[in-house]
Amino acid sequence: MASKPKIKELLDESSCAHNQTRKVACNAPTPGATTGGCAFEGAQISLFPYADAAHLVHGPMTCLGSSWETRATGTSYTGRDLTQMGFTTDININDVVFSGEEKVAASIDYIMTHYSPEAVFVYATCVTAMIGDDLDLLSKQAAERHGVPVVPVHAPGFVGSKNLGSRLGGEAVLTHLIGTKEPETTTPFDINLIGEYNVTGDMWQYTPLLEELGIRVLSTLSGDGRVAQIRTAHRAKLNVLVCAKSLVSLTRKMEERYGIPSIALSFYGQRDTSNGLLAIAEALGDAELIERTKQLIAREETKLTEKLKPYQTFFKGKKAVLNTGGNKTWSIAAALQDLGIEVVATAVKKATQDDREKARKTLGKNGVLMMNPGVEQAKIIDETGADLLLAGGRSLYTAIKKGIAFADVNQEKKKSYGGYEGLLNLAEDLKNALQNPVFKNVARRAPWEK
Amino acid sequence: MGEVIHKRVKPLQVNPFKLSQPMGATLAFLGVDGCMPLMHGGQGCTSFTKVFFTRHFCEPIAIQTSAVTDAIAVLDGGDYSIVESVKNITKKVTPSLIGLLTTGLPETKGDDIRGVAAQIDYPLVYVNTPDYEGGFESGWALTCKAMIEQLVEPAGRADDNKLVLLPHISLTPIEVEKIKEFIEGFGFNVFALPDLSTSLDGHLGEKQAALSSGGIAVEDIRKLGEAGLVLSVGDSMQACAEALLKKSPEMRHHHFPHLQGFEATDSLAELLLTETGFSGPPLAVARWRQRLQDAMLDSHFSLGQSRFLVAAEPDQLTGICQALYDAGGKVTVAISSVDSPQLEKIIAETVLVGDLEDAEHLADDYDVIIGNFHCEAIAHRHHKGLVLRGFPNWEQVGNPLKNDALYEGGAYFLFECANTAMEMRGHH
Repeated sequence: MASKPKIKELLDESSCAHNQTRKVACNAPTPGATTGGCAFEGAQISLFPYADAAHLVHGPMTCLGSSWETRATGTSYTGRDLTQMGFTTDININDVVFSGEEKVAASIDYIMTHYSPEAVFVYATCVTAMIGDDLDLLSKQAAERHGVPVVPVHAPGFVGSKNLGSRLGGEAVLTHLIGTKEPETTTPFDINLIGEYNVTGDMWQYTPLLEELGIRVLSTLSGDGRVAQIRTAHRAKLNVLVCAKSLVSLTRKMEERYGIPSIALSFYGQRDTSNGLLAIAEALGDAELIERTKQLIAREETKLTEKLKPYQTFFKGKKAVLNTGGNKTWSIAAALQDLGIEVVATAVKKATQDDREKARKTLGKNGVLMMNPGVEQAKIIDETGADLLLAGGRSLYTAIKKGIAFADVNQEKKKSYGGYEGLLNLAEDLKNALQNPVFKNVARRAPWEK
Repeated sequence: MGEVIHKRVKPLQVNPFKLSQPMGATLAFLGVDGCMPLMHGGQGCTSFTKVFFTRHFCEPIAIQTSAVTDAIAVLDGGDYSIVESVKNITKKVTPSLIGLLTTGLPETKGDDIRGVAAQIDYPLVYVNTPDYEGGFESGWALTCKAMIEQLVEPAGRADDNKLVLLPHISLTPIEVEKIKEFIEGFGFNVFALPDLSTSLDGHLGEKQAALSSGGIAVEDIRKLGEAGLVLSVGDSMQACAEALLKKSPEMRHHHFPHLQGFEATDSLAELLLTETGFSGPPLAVARWRQRLQDAMLDSHFSLGQSRFLVAAEPDQLTGICQALYDAGGKVTVAISSVDSPQLEKIIAETVLVGDLEDAEHLADDYDVIIGNFHCEAIAHRHHKGLVLRGFPNWEQVGNPLKNDALYEGGAYFLFECANTAMEMRGHH
């Protein structure tokens, strides 16, 4: 049973900056007052992008039925994209009473026969963890039968939040895949991208630039990922943690085990992208590479500045209020500033201490950090004459009442906002929002209400 | 009618379109005004369900979770989590009803939610909906039945002008509205349970409510026993009608397996004429019947040369297959998400309980696929025409206003199918 990670240990992450004060993201949920996904969803988010692996969910229908084919994580894999397929044992009452183990074994065999994936991830869920189906043994036996890695993922929903589930997913990869294969060749500039899931092709906004610089992405967890590559991840020179605090345990353990240092960064907006590229070059520590990177950044920024000009003219003098959570509180704010939009307020209610500090730095001393955005945002829009509200769907009514443009930050985006090019997508979408008369039009009173 | 395969042979589901009981139960509670569905289980079931419906309806979805954790699961029989949930919900909002439904987790450990419900001094309906049993349709029906059993007051006298409509889960908000209006056209006062037509119909309110906004009022549910007539639509709803009859000895029941297409709508009209003694329907109804007749003729040429695969919940599957059959469409494969005795009645060459991998394996047998958004990938890979129906549809907006029911919806539905088939033939 060695493969079951110790949850206590994962919750007590020494690399977490917020660990000194209190475990902001790790508290037990309150019955009747909880939002957000479970550990299973977190594991799914972190592992499903391996398109050459099958993802078998051992549980009843809610777990997979509501969640497959939900995330637009692009892959360049030319075989059948297994990320966008759903496999589940769909257990019934008999399985609950007499165990679903036989079903798991038969399902893995079925998957291997019909889809021959490079690996199979087998996910425990609340019910199957509770009835005690032994996924470790079943996976071990199946791996021996089929000669591919079969990875048990112990992140049933009831162990905690989405964030914890992502860590547990990372833990499964560390235990069962990383270090199980040697790469054909290595280079001095091999990196792993950790926590980048390539949603809407975010990663492809900057990987061509890395390639141009001679930096090789040895493996990813797990955007556009391949099982064969993550198995060789222990030979990388650097772990690059992209916008994902949840996997900090994994990078720390890889540092302890394989001596791979890690850096955390984001590729959201122009400044972050430039800083990120330079940080990677500096961490790899090659003077020539650093020089090349600086030149590339200068070239890309000039190109982008040129393309952004018409937008900046359009956005000049425009003010935005941002109501979101987590790292978006400052990362979106920074991107908006890159476009020439003044961010007058951002919500920090659902942000960690670390994110709040970054938000303050991004907005400057005059920016408002909203602790109670639901109440504050309407007032701030009035006071500042803001033109645009970026928030979750709930705030649409505020925007309509105030007659200003609205952009849903939580809406499933269809195109990438990442890297240099992504900023142009964001600019285009926001320009469209500001020009759209719909927000004023729907606010018209009915003739019988006048 | 052709072959019916009731049992799956595979050990697993591959690309499932089956959905769970708790999700169906949630939707039923969202058809009650001012309700807060409370899902008893891990927080993920609720989060998944909320996102699922939010994306399908493009509307905020009210729901809360008892947020059972692994430690709580061992120590608590539901007393703590549920009582605490109700306390925390009512601190912030005042629901007219709390809709308590279970998931697989508490059912596995055997929580006695009936016992817990008895301790709670707040309007609450409880229902057992483990997700390892039944499916989307049964979750909705069980919840509707629970509301009837726990809320409806016994009645002695029947009001012949009052009619209860019990719609199956796959009827969209606009379809429920159209059926209500159709019946109202004959002078009845109609109450639908659940009623999505005023809650998830996609209307812009004054502000966003934290509870379901619209739907049947709890007070109206309590008084459903006074109705003289109950109409159930969809075989899944039969048991609900029976539960309602127990509350009122005077009430009479009529059942419709579905209300799609010419024949089914004719039988509804006939019943309403008999009940009222009217000599004819409202003018608009007669006009729509003529339009549907014309639509059947206009679309029969395309439909007659097209083969369809339909993947849906049993009640919707029955209706769609009948509507296509009426105008000459050949349903070669009908796939149901779950088993049901009703599959024997479906008009198709092959009827099976299955998943979308089955649909993919049978790709040579059809030209047009009718099903949920997961069918899009199949249509794309195998160059099939696609008509999106059922849950979820994250690909399109306007889902609550898709109308296939009665004469009117029947005409729209046939046109869409015929046009899709023609367009598909034009491309290949």
